[in-house]
Amino acid sequence: MQSSNSTAERMSRIFREVFDDPSINIRDDMTSEDIDAWDSLTHIHLIFAIEKEFKIVFTVGEAGSSLKNVGELRMLIEKKIGG
Amino acid sequence: MSSVNSGFLDRHSRQEYRQLTKNAGVQLDYQRLVSAGKRLKLGDSAPLLKLAILGDCSTQQLAALVKALLGEAGIRTEIHEGEFDAIELQCCDPASALYRFGADAVVILNSAQALRAAYLHQATEGGDYAGDCLARTIRIWDAIQANCSAVILQSTFAIVPDSYFGNFELKVPGSLRSLITALNANVVAATRERTGVLIHDIEAVASWVGRRLFFDERMWDLWKLPCSLEHLPRVAKSIVDVMLAFRGRIVKCVVVDLDNTLWGGVVGDDGLEGIELSTHGGGAGESFVRLQLYLRQLRRRGILLAVCSKNDEAVALMPFLHHPDMVLRRDDISVFVANWDDKASGIRRVRDELNIALDSIVFLDDNAFERNLVRELLPEVIVPELPEDPSSVVAFLSELNLFETTSLSKEDLQRAMQYQREAQRRESATRCANVQEFLQSLDMQIVVTRFDRFQVPRIAQLMQRSNQFNLCTRRLSETECSALMRDESFIPLYATLTDRFGDHGLISVVVLEQQQDALIVRDWLMSCRVLARGVEQFLMNHVVAQAAQLGLKSVVGEYIPTAKNGMVRDFFQQFGFTRLSTPGDRWMLNVSGYLQQEAFIRLAQGARSMNGTEDS
Repeated sequence: MQSSNSTAERMSRIFREVFDDPSINIRDDMTSEDIDAWDSLTHIHLIFAIEKEFKIVFTVGEAGSSLKNVGELRMLIEKKIGG
Repeated sequence: MSSVNSGFLDRHSRQEYRQLTKNAGVQLDYQRLVSAGKRLKLGDSAPLLKLAILGDCSTQQLAALVKALLGEAGIRTEIHEGEFDAIELQCCDPASALYRFGADAVVILNSAQALRAAYLHQATEGGDYAGDCLARTIRIWDAIQANCSAVILQSTFAIVPDSYFGNFELKVPGSLRSLITALNANVVAATRERTGVLIHDIEAVASWVGRRLFFDERMWDLWKLPCSLEHLPRVAKSIVDVMLAFRGRIVKCVVVDLDNTLWGGVVGDDGLEGIELSTHGGGAGESFVRLQLYLRQLRRRGILLAVCSKNDEAVALMPFLHHPDMVLRRDDISVFVANWDDKASGIRRVRDELNIALDSIVFLDDNAFERNLVRELLPEVIVPELPEDPSSVVAFLSELNLFETTSLSKEDLQRAMQYQREAQRRESATRCANVQEFLQSLDMQIVVTRFDRFQVPRIAQLMQRSNQFNLCTRRLSETECSALMRDESFIPLYATLTDRFGDHGLISVVVLEQQQDALIVRDWLMSCRVLARGVEQFLMNHVVAQAAQLGLKSVVGEYIPTAKNGMVRDFFQQFGFTRLSTPGDRWMLNVSGYLQQEAFIRLAQGARSMNGTEDS
């Protein structure tokens, strides 16, 4: 079982809140296509929530980049928190 | 989700909004509001507000927050978002979607970033850029008011953190910061001469938050958001606050507790001189003065003040009547409730006397028990938490923004006075009877005795400590008091007082000296705990009777002013003494011309005679 404080688990909690769907469990290969509520508006919210949760600051490029999938976002977070 | 009775939900959500304002700053959370906005379902009976938001920035997030906050205040909101950055276009087209929407209010959100971009992109500098911006803004108002009757909510421009000249910035008339500052001043001035245009002061929000945190340039560059998402709820709340005031939700009266709210300490225990309240003493005393100044300023703009305190009324009134540093006077208080009933009853009395709604009342009390009791019994009343630190109360209340208004008429300013006169009329009819009845009901008994060796230590102590009700402020030591006790030319007296609430112990010292045909008052001091109860009146009757008994013609006294004894400045005058022409503030009374004072105090059994011969 995943540790409840792993990056992925913390991300899952954020995704559930932001996309208002308690059933979400993120996987690395997920994309915005897999989550109905993931649009340009909620993406801003997602970036904001991740920054708050992980106490990191994305650059303008990172915040606006169209990442290939959730795995890339997770790796970016881990890189920024120095994990 | 099960359907919920809309009345219940309205009430519930209004309480939730109150809870929110109570904890402003904590509850203005973006995630919470977005979730709340999705879940909030208001019934058709809830009042509807049609709001158009026109911005030169992205307004989607803001619109959702405004809707959520208004929803929590029990107002259904329909929002029309204008097309991005097309404010003037939409307003000047009578056939635009804006006018088809039929807005009650139009929010014009001008972002600082858009202004900055336009300013920096100018081909050439110079010209009257601020003047052009103002003219365009006024053109937009004209167009809106020509095409619909909606109230306009015009934002100010936040001052961007960019610096081009450092400290010299404001000395350059055409600099960006000078431009924004001038524009804000001119836009606001233009709204003063015009009906139907209100201000949404986004610059006040930005500076409250701090520009460094308020602005998020990534959010602008990527998505044209006017500020960081973190602080967008506060922008939304300031819009909502104006809208609620526009819809009549305004505070009309602030009901305040006294002990540890308006001053530090408990006046009934610590005495008038013991409470913390000071215009120059430093520390908490100044914090309480500052809160009083804040409240007085509210009163000056037409918000009524009332007192609700668990106290004897005479005790509660003492600081208002006699404390030199008290800012609020009895006249500032429209309804004065001081009794031992619960505070919900007190607030109901305020409501009844002023004939205002409970939801227009703010209640301030340092005591969590009282706050919770009022929230429980009178959920409509706005009961903010209060910070424990008195120095932060004013900032806290300002942050809650409880006193929003949309107009300030002459009537507003006069209202406080009108209520005041009414309340005074009502009161003056009953006051005398009340105070007398009250004093009578106290069943006060006094013992007046020549100094004795048991009391000398306490007498000396009172002489050291008593500052305010002290005519000459001689600080006699125990040894000196003992000497007086044995000196037959002096009549050194002390008084103890009991009433039905208990024994007040030693409360006053009066030292008299017989000189030829006059009785000289050498010392007269009294504990402020027993002010306004008739003790000094009783003692003066006693002193004059003593002079008469000794066959003396006059009583002579002196007032020696100090920094603290201003409250007894007129002591002798009030008893009919006339001022002597000799140097100093000396006064004389003809014994035969003395008017007996009314005092509801009995001389208790066991009192000793005044000339030193002890009964036993």
